[in-house]
Amino acid sequence: MTGRTVAKEGAAPLRAPRLNGRLTIAGAAACAFAALVLVLALTTHRFLTWQNIKAILSSASLVGIEALGLTFVTMVGGVVSLAVAEVAVVTAMAFLAMLGAGLVPALAIAMALGAAVSGIQGFAIGAWNANPVMFTISAAFLIDGVGQGLNNGQIVQPAAGGYGTLNATPLGVPVAVYVLVGLALALQFVTRRTVLGRQIMLVGENRPAARAAGLPITRVVTLAFAIAGIAFGIGGAFLGSFNAGASVLSEGTITFDAIAAVLVGGTSITGGHGSPLRTLAGSLAIAAITDVLLLRGFSTGPQVLLKGMLVVVVVVVTQARSRGRR
Amino acid sequence: MSSPARLELRSVSKSFGAVRALSDASLTLAPKEIRGLCGHNGAGKSTLINVVTGLLSPDGGTIRIDGEQVHFGSPREAQSAGIVCVDQELSMVSSLTIAENLSLGSVDRGLFVRRATDRARSRALLERVGLGHHAPEELLGALSLGERQLVEIARALGRGARLLILDEPTATLTDFEIERVFDAVRRVAQEGCSVLFVSHRLGEVLRLCHTVTVMRDGRIAKESPATGLSADQLVEAMLGEQPERVAARAAGDHADVRLRVDRLRVGTRVREFSYDFHAGHIYGIAGQVGAGASEVLRALGGLVPEAAGRVEHDGRALSIHSPGRVKRAGLGFVTNDRKFDGLFLGRSVQENLTATRLGEVSRLGVISATAERDHARRVAEHAGVPVDRLAGAVGVLSGGNQQRTLLGRYTLDPTIRTLLVDEPTRGVDVGGRIAIHRLLAQAANDGMTVIFATSDLQELLELAMTAITMRAGRMVGAYSGELPHQALVADLTHRSGGEPEQVVA
Repeated sequence: MTGRTVAKEGAAPLRAPRLNGRLTIAGAAACAFAALVLVLALTTHRFLTWQNIKAILSSASLVGIEALGLTFVTMVGGVVSLAVAEVAVVTAMAFLAMLGAGLVPALAIAMALGAAVSGIQGFAIGAWNANPVMFTISAAFLIDGVGQGLNNGQIVQPAAGGYGTLNATPLGVPVAVYVLVGLALALQFVTRRTVLGRQIMLVGENRPAARAAGLPITRVVTLAFAIAGIAFGIGGAFLGSFNAGASVLSEGTITFDAIAAVLVGGTSITGGHGSPLRTLAGSLAIAAITDVLLLRGFSTGPQVLLKGMLVVVVVVVTQARSRGRR
Repeated sequence: MSSPARLELRSVSKSFGAVRALSDASLTLAPKEIRGLCGHNGAGKSTLINVVTGLLSPDGGTIRIDGEQVHFGSPREAQSAGIVCVDQELSMVSSLTIAENLSLGSVDRGLFVRRATDRARSRALLERVGLGHHAPEELLGALSLGERQLVEIARALGRGARLLILDEPTATLTDFEIERVFDAVRRVAQEGCSVLFVSHRLGEVLRLCHTVTVMRDGRIAKESPATGLSADQLVEAMLGEQPERVAARAAGDHADVRLRVDRLRVGTRVREFSYDFHAGHIYGIAGQVGAGASEVLRALGGLVPEAAGRVEHDGRALSIHSPGRVKRAGLGFVTNDRKFDGLFLGRSVQENLTATRLGEVSRLGVISATAERDHARRVAEHAGVPVDRLAGAVGVLSGGNQQRTLLGRYTLDPTIRTLLVDEPTRGVDVGGRIAIHRLLAQAANDGMTVIFATSDLQELLELAMTAITMRAGRMVGAYSGELPHQALVADLTHRSGGEPEQVVA
């Protein structure tokens, strides 16, 4: 026989009251946290000004776009991709190099390249059940290597000036913020209303069950990663535009910031639960907290520390909740 | 009696909701006694064991160990009272040495591992179970399954077992290994330990045990010395009255062949299986755990990559190496382990019902909320899943409703022509069981071919129109019409896997 555990007769069924208990704990934690932020925000000078809110939005935009993509990797059961920044940087390079052909073609190429590079990783993880963390780490090194090799480690300069459009601020708000919100809504629709979105959730929730039910696992995982790659590509285009250049040095902490945004949003790290809108909220929450700390004059050390603590608290709470559900 | 009984249960009962898993069970076990415990799945054996080992606390009744009344709050308390259970699934680490495994989970340990004392102690324990020729430093992974079973028993002795409970210890062993385990069990009993031996294999029970207890529907149905007892008498006690059959008897002439299986093989687990399954008929494949019945279904469901053999479905060759292709060819598979590869536990009942039919409730890849709800409602009504629970999580449904949810994916699906169900009513209470049997009978009535695997003889008798028996990876017999339950029992328990024979009444 197989090594799976066999359900014993008379095993006590999962009961609703326990579930409710857990939800209450999670809910209380969320309320306490929201109250803390609110108090901090209201007592911080200049926090609730249009200027400051715009600053929060812009600082959330780049990582937020990457995190929206990463949400799909997490929801489909791929845990996290550790190649977010790498994909973003190669797409940024491609975007800048292709600007000679015009802004729209360059954007399209960045998105297609992101979809391809990430989709290939998804295929390996879907078809051969490769460990997502290990596989995306290796992919990150590989992508980095190719990215450096193609340009001899030099910074890729914009081939033409079209990228300025991405840095524009219509109505005083950067284009990236509009894209962040629009992308979140579009991906929310994909998640909630499309067949693919549902299949992503089912595969992420229980892959063996999805397999036994005959769902097309390889296709679903590949497409989830490809969607993530499109978002990485869009983010990459903005990354290249902000810096007016791209090299592996621009990777920074994008990957881990994106992971933090996904987790703080409450998307379950084990897959099957979460949404792009949650991730949007997660990135805004992190940006808001960073902003509060900045306004209160904290240095980078305490900022990072607090961000880390926030992620830990949220992960513990969401894990407790999803355990109660199982 | 001069000395008090090692274990004495008096009027012990235990209910789960409305289900009485154990009612008024009394049992007395003397020191040095080897007691066999038989009964079908759901008869109450596991509940009884769980009560004795402290996993469950009884609703009523008393438990005495060596004359002293006990109330176990946890398995650990039962263990320190000398009650040790060796489970079907071994709980050892194959990458550690024998000695390390023997000391796993021991309570009386300091901070540091004392290798020298451990080794001497291990050697003595191995000697007691007939493994004296193995050094304690050997890796557990190098031992055969039977030898690992012996190491489990040695570990139980090392914990000072006074009552050793063996739960289906021989299910996966070869005949030779079974003898070694039996020798060890006899030796352990002579040394003063009592043994409770749980097994479906009646022949083995009669050979090893001094006395036998049969359970049925949560009660003690029979208790008798093993000498002079026959397997048939045990079966009678296990079955009780002849069960009512749900499925209508097959009409004389069969419809066309729906599924043709030609020399299906799965490693050593299915040696060879060939059969022609007809439309509109219910087939039950019965076998003990490890006999291969479940593996045949999983292989046909496309879930076993190493499966080999030729399969035709409605005259077209079927590749059984992709569950998706199998599903598209018109076969639906329902697992015996809902939590592992059946349900999406965290998702709603509705999403579980429509998971395989999203194409029908969507347009251009976008799901229509109303179409999905209507579809789920229709399927739920047909399968008997409470319609007001559709929006709730499937994980909180009863076992019966969970199973109906899984079956509902396929029973109303016109593209599904063959339904493969592994243990249709595992973890389902009596009421749910009848409803599920009716659902399957109706599916067959509507023209579907239903093939189920079961290790529950009663279920085979109730549901199957044709019963196929398996042992050790081979088909032993096939019976249609009035199912001869004595012959079925003989196939499943006595006869060792020889030449398959076809008996069609």
